[in-house]
Amino acid sequence: MRQLVGAALGAAVLAAPLAASSQPAAKRPTLAVSHVVAPRSAAALNALLNEYCLGCHDADGRAGGLSLQDFEPGQADKQPEIAEKMIRKLRAGMMPPAGAPRPDPASASALRASLETAVDRDAAAHPFAGAPELHRVNRSEYRNSVRDLLDLDIDVSALLPPDEMGRGFDNMADVLAVTPALVQGYVRAAGKISRAAIGDASVAPAMTMYTVPKVVNQMRHVDGAPLGTRGGTSVLHNFPADGEYTFKLALYYDFLETLYGQNLPANLQGQEIEVSVDGARAALFKIDPNIPETKNVLTSPRVRIAAGPHRVSAAFLAKFDGPTEDEFRQVEQSMVDISAGIPGLIALPHLQSMTVAGPFAATGVSATPSRREIFICTPATAHDETACAQTIITKLARKAFRRPLTDADASFLFDSYKEGRSDGTFENGIERALQAIVASPNFVFRFERTPSNAKPGANYRISDVELASRLSYFLWSSSPDDQLLTLAARGQLRDPAVLEREVRRMLADRRAQGLVDNFAEEWLRLRHVREADPDTGLYPEFSRNLGESMARETKLLFDNIIREDRSVTELLTANYTFVDEVLAKHYGIPNVQGSTFRRVAITDPNRFGLLGQGSILTLTSLANRTSPVLRGKYVMEVLLGAAPPPPPANVPALEENVENQRPLPVRERLAEHRKNPACAACHKMMDPIGLALENFNAVGLWRTVDSGAPIDPTGELYDGTQLDGPVSLRKAILARTDAFIGSFTENLLAYGLGRLIDYRDMPAARAVEQDAAKSDYRFSSFILGVVKSVPFQMRKADDVVTSAQNGAAETARRAKNR
Amino acid sequence: MFITQKHLSRRTVLRGMGATMALPLLDAMVPAQTLQRKTAAASRVRLACIEMVHGSAGSTQEGIEQHYWMPEKEGADFDFTMILKPLEPLREYVTVITQTDLHAAEAWAAAEEGADHFRSSAVFLTAAHPKQTEGSDVRAGTSIDQIYAQEFGADTALPSLQLAIENVDTAGTCGFNYACVYSGPISWSSPTTPTAMTIDPRMAFETLFGEGGTAAEREARQRANRSILDGITREVARLRSDLGASDRNRLNSYMESVREIERRIVRIEQHNASGESRALPSAPLGVPDSWEEHVKLMFDLQVLAFSSEVTRVSSFKLSRDTSNRVFPESGIRAPFHAMSHHGSVPSKILEYAKLNVYHMSLLPYFLEKLRATPDGDGNLLDHSMILWGSPMGDSNVHTHRRLPVLLAGHANGRIKGNQHVRCKDETPYANVLLTMLHTLGIDQPAIGDSTGEVAI
Repeated sequence: MRQLVGAALGAAVLAAPLAASSQPAAKRPTLAVSHVVAPRSAAALNALLNEYCLGCHDADGRAGGLSLQDFEPGQADKQPEIAEKMIRKLRAGMMPPAGAPRPDPASASALRASLETAVDRDAAAHPFAGAPELHRVNRSEYRNSVRDLLDLDIDVSALLPPDEMGRGFDNMADVLAVTPALVQGYVRAAGKISRAAIGDASVAPAMTMYTVPKVVNQMRHVDGAPLGTRGGTSVLHNFPADGEYTFKLALYYDFLETLYGQNLPANLQGQEIEVSVDGARAALFKIDPNIPETKNVLTSPRVRIAAGPHRVSAAFLAKFDGPTEDEFRQVEQSMVDISAGIPGLIALPHLQSMTVAGPFAATGVSATPSRREIFICTPATAHDETACAQTIITKLARKAFRRPLTDADASFLFDSYKEGRSDGTFENGIERALQAIVASPNFVFRFERTPSNAKPGANYRISDVELASRLSYFLWSSSPDDQLLTLAARGQLRDPAVLEREVRRMLADRRAQGLVDNFAEEWLRLRHVREADPDTGLYPEFSRNLGESMARETKLLFDNIIREDRSVTELLTANYTFVDEVLAKHYGIPNVQGSTFRRVAITDPNRFGLLGQGSILTLTSLANRTSPVLRGKYVMEVLLGAAPPPPPANVPALEENVENQRPLPVRERLAEHRKNPACAACHKMMDPIGLALENFNAVGLWRTVDSGAPIDPTGELYDGTQLDGPVSLRKAILARTDAFIGSFTENLLAYGLGRLIDYRDMPAARAVEQDAAKSDYRFSSFILGVVKSVPFQMRKADDVVTSAQNGAAETARRAKNR
Repeated sequence: MFITQKHLSRRTVLRGMGATMALPLLDAMVPAQTLQRKTAAASRVRLACIEMVHGSAGSTQEGIEQHYWMPEKEGADFDFTMILKPLEPLREYVTVITQTDLHAAEAWAAAEEGADHFRSSAVFLTAAHPKQTEGSDVRAGTSIDQIYAQEFGADTALPSLQLAIENVDTAGTCGFNYACVYSGPISWSSPTTPTAMTIDPRMAFETLFGEGGTAAEREARQRANRSILDGITREVARLRSDLGASDRNRLNSYMESVREIERRIVRIEQHNASGESRALPSAPLGVPDSWEEHVKLMFDLQVLAFSSEVTRVSSFKLSRDTSNRVFPESGIRAPFHAMSHHGSVPSKILEYAKLNVYHMSLLPYFLEKLRATPDGDGNLLDHSMILWGSPMGDSNVHTHRRLPVLLAGHANGRIKGNQHVRCKDETPYANVLLTMLHTLGIDQPAIGDSTGEVAI
């Protein structure tokens, strides 16, 4: 048995050249314990199926749409799709369902091992590479690629329509469609980016407005703003030219047109707000609380500013400190909706928006980071222009197209240069060429070419240059850098030692933040904590800042696991975390001041890992209460990789607590819900998980009472494990480490490949996790596993038609459509 | 001004702008403010299709008995019920159509049951039953706004405009093996092509009117963009040869989009060259904080687009089924989705009805603006057809029966208004879509499960 598993592994990881880096199968160290189980005979497995599965999953019952009537566990490779469904449920321990008789754990493991072995053995003989759809870069990849190309940060949400999501990720080629709106966005963005990068002294004045949402707390220092200020906003603004600019500030007013914070105690009167550029004061306004909204125009005098990115802040001078703060700090959501009418609330003035307008009297364009990237040569005479233009274009286009330039590319781009040059200056020519580069399909798509000798339907190894892009978009969400591209162009990247060295270099690079910002954020659904809007009246301690800090905390934990190459299971067990002042206050951690995050040790085991973090607890809650259902679903779907089916249509929502009636704790209301047998099947799985976390309220604060009744966190997990709070739940999940690691791996694989994956990809995912098990699930071992996997390194050629035939067929189809 | 008058923050900002640098800057950003009216003959019907998601309290049994939506009286001079009340001042323009069902939004197979949230929006304007898939092989139907745009939109700078307030839900897979696109766009330019929606009003503005400080600048940029698009066409021709079949297909759809953008640029150039100037306010500044303000800004843009005829077709999705947004301006604190599952409890249905009233109260803002905008021999509302409705009926149990549907505007005199058309029970809602198409001059025998016209 062990040998079988080992052999399957050896083959599922790439064949010849890469196998050199792995040990021979026979010498492999023992795998995780649960994989090593005594094999059972086919008859024994059939008996197991008969006894525990077929009661519901027979041809008549077809529970969950699945019949195992004709399923032969001994020949699972013949029906891999069914086998994978079973493996998933067995790993998570979710079948047989809660309350039904269960086989002993050893038998269940044997069944699972037998299924996995059969499927993996077959997959090793016929590995599935898949073929991602033509990959277009998504918004964050686009932004990062532009940043790395031009040292220019762009607001991509203002330029391109949002990407569709697949499987919770926005980098799935299958669903990244191309629409006219998108093409228009690309063309428009190319114009804006090329103008912004080169700068333009003749540009007409324009306004850029930065708004501060109402739900942002403005009591504390904002990251980037000068110390000694509170609230406001701080942005990196790209100034298009050397010239004069003005800044305009608008403050929040209430619906009666009175300034927010009009009536202040004496010690807080005389509020002032400052505009600063790179930390130097550009304007200071005294706020007259009695000026009506219509007249309260805070406009700075014109300030001369050089082209390029500068940090612009508009922030209030802090007039208080220490004990004074206590008067209002109980309400974090400091710009609460007026109708909330919380008595005793002292609100200070709040910035509603800051607008940058200009340039006026532009004089030219100074050296900016972008211009330094672009103008690597300057033509001294008109005679030098052509050579310099070619030098510039070649450097930019190679990086943008992520491959060495062809002659056709070069001549096309040079034509663009000439067109722009003939309309104006040398710089206009470069700008036009840059616009053509950024708008090019070579920039917005990642092409993978089928080699002419590829056998129809067979897997072939993608080129080194293509591999470089797969790598960089996986690890950096951006284009390959010069070193990676050079190695690829020399054909060295396929060397396993070089590849591993590059992966490690890339993981250590700051651009690996892409894994945190995209993979971790999307896998863990962190976007939802940013968008969370807990009821102000019930959770006055919540503000948008807190939501941001919560998401940041989780991302920093993930980041730490990458940086220190820790075990991925530490996501569940970490006895440390990262907090800033606002979050520390929320958790009751003393002595943390300011907006900088720092690592702190945790002593309360209830707070260890993800399940103790405000982010996860808040994003799985509703606006006005916790939702054990959502929490249970999150644990099952995200952490255990086995989502419950969605609810039937005619399910009433839980009764909300109504005024003048006895408020019911969530647990009691849920119990009502579970009386309905149609609901009970799944809720018996979800609810106990969520109820074990009931001591955390809807914004992740610890509590012992809900609606007047003491919290009862006890329950029984679907597999019979007794739960009595967060610690027991964490232990129960850790007892299913396979399922947790499986979910992580599967998501990482899908994200890394940038395509939807299905049952055919599961053997590759298992190979990755089994390899990772040998290094205690260190983060880098998963990355290396994915990178070395068949689907990452290879691609399946089209099944039947050759390129030529296909071209003919398509011509015919187009003719017919016309 | 096409600026929300009630919302203070925006107004302040704009006034602030106006007070100091105002006109020179704003002037530089937009064409001159001269009203140029079309002749009556040139006026073609403007079409706006608005989806308010997740049904209505008026579609429940209780709601029908209590007349939350459906008026008691049929025909002219009907009674404005609770939810319709905000529209009463516009009575002569309103046509309420009751008792129609959207069969295509229902589950047709066991595996589709309960998936209504992930299917309905794609059915609203198509009456087509979406194919259950998570992959790229999505299929629904061509939506009526796109049918109209494809038939008559060729002479406008932009065939159609698609706007939305909220992003598609991003939580995991969209459920029941349905691709997320089914719960996003309501406009489908072909049965396999959902059309992306714009959420940022500023982006919508630039899409409509181009970018650039001055007319000359805009023109120069359009010219540069055209040459960029020419270049893309040549590059794609070179790229095609060594790609696989599915990549080529994707590249084809890319090229179709490129050509579409080229056509738009040509049309905008022609429009600009015609010497006609358009009346425009300042470009909006971005996505506002408040839902209500955002909705109103999007309505402003549609009025602008319609009055300048940059486009005559818009679709607008106001929310999404599963949104748990709280609408503070409504005075109701409970989250939307939870409220919509009212458990058929009368008191809760009433609460939901109040939220429906709030949503409805935004429609008059749009209609009144259209009415206040002169157009040819009348006003814009005379020359518009506006569909407001939901592909869901009773949100609690996910029925698609007795949908809340109404039309507004006179569509160039083809809809008389001041009517409550009570259909025979179980009339296909597709009949409403078919009637709209016919009214718009599109000779199409049927759409979805339509059986005939509705007598509007």
